[in-house]
Amino acid sequence: MIEFLIASLLFVVLAFSLLYRVFKGPTAADRLCAADSLDLVCATALVLYALYSGRSIYMDIALVVALLGFVSTVFVARYLERRL
Amino acid sequence: MQKPSKFACWLSTFILCMLFWLLLTLSLDPIELILGAVVSGIVAAFAGHFFIHYRAFYLYNPVRLVALVFYCCIIFLWEMIKANVSMARIVLSPNLGNYQAGIIRVPGSPNIKSEYGMAMVSDCITLSPGTITMDVAEDEENNTYYYVHWIDVTETDREKAGEVIKGRMERWIGRIWQ
Amino acid sequence: MVRIVIDIFLAVGVIFTFIGVLGVQRLPDVFGRLQASTCIATLGNIGVALAGIVYTVANHGEVMAYIRLGIILLLILATNPISNHALCKAAYRTGVKPAKDLVIDDYKEDDPA
Repeated sequence: MIEFLIASLLFVVLAFSLLYRVFKGPTAADRLCAADSLDLVCATALVLYALYSGRSIYMDIALVVALLGFVSTVFVARYLERRL
Repeated sequence: MQKPSKFACWLSTFILCMLFWLLLTLSLDPIELILGAVVSGIVAAFAGHFFIHYRAFYLYNPVRLVALVFYCCIIFLWEMIKANVSMARIVLSPNLGNYQAGIIRVPGSPNIKSEYGMAMVSDCITLSPGTITMDVAEDEENNTYYYVHWIDVTETDREKAGEVIKGRMERWIGRIWQ
Repeated sequence: MVRIVIDIFLAVGVIFTFIGVLGVQRLPDVFGRLQASTCIATLGNIGVALAGIVYTVANHGEVMAYIRLGIILLLILATNPISNHALCKAAYRTGVKPAKDLVIDDYKEDDPA
């Protein structure tokens, strides 16, 4: 279905607009928040592309991307708090 | 609150891991079943005593499971949709809605004392857009407090603010966890 | 008919993800951005995952596909509040100033550390 491809492209555009916040954000926490959202948006775009192309390998990649985003965000937040 | 025995911790975590394995593979092939049992046994031996702190088989009760599924699918979804719409109203208004942020200390219900219940209440508060739990504290009389960052403070009285933020969700979680 | 349902779910997902991204770009301080980014994780993901589940069920796709979609949805819903909470606390304790003064700040008075 063509809607999945269109929605996937929209998500990619949204992810690129989040990159602006990653580069600009005044503090480290702003960058980290934008990077965390970027992970989720990328995972969702991968899910939509998997539904469009019918290959389930992209869905596995989306699972791994979502998990690694969570782990990296928690670790960097603990590091900012100086409790690592 | 006494600690459960080591075997109960192991068995409870093992059942959970095995169910997850069955869901991931979806086959009753004996080789895959044996492999899954070995892997979940090893995982349960390492992670059981981090995972279970008291009453190992508390959640394996059909009434509580049905209440959990009902809560997640209907009550929580409805509260989350309401919070999402109010967040959308703040973001889409031209002057950002002149919101007034604040961090407020909200008293927790006296029925929910276990770690799982407190974790689930604070997760549900965080998952509804507009409120984030920053910390959970406990004073000398065993009362629990949640420190909640609230983006649009409409109520500065702490009891009423708690009713607005988590009233219905906490009453339902009190039926699932102690 | 099924196609209309899929389109509605997909539209809900795209609209709420757009609102979350717009909030991350527009709101003035880090706490507001964290609040807005929760929109992406909740209704954005739920809409897309429900659209995918309806699509695979209606097209008699393999069973693995929608179980995997459900697992991704549950995993995101379970892990996102933890990272948000850790990030909010880290931002507060590294001394990030809010854009406007807070109406009420109990955390500073009590400081449970």
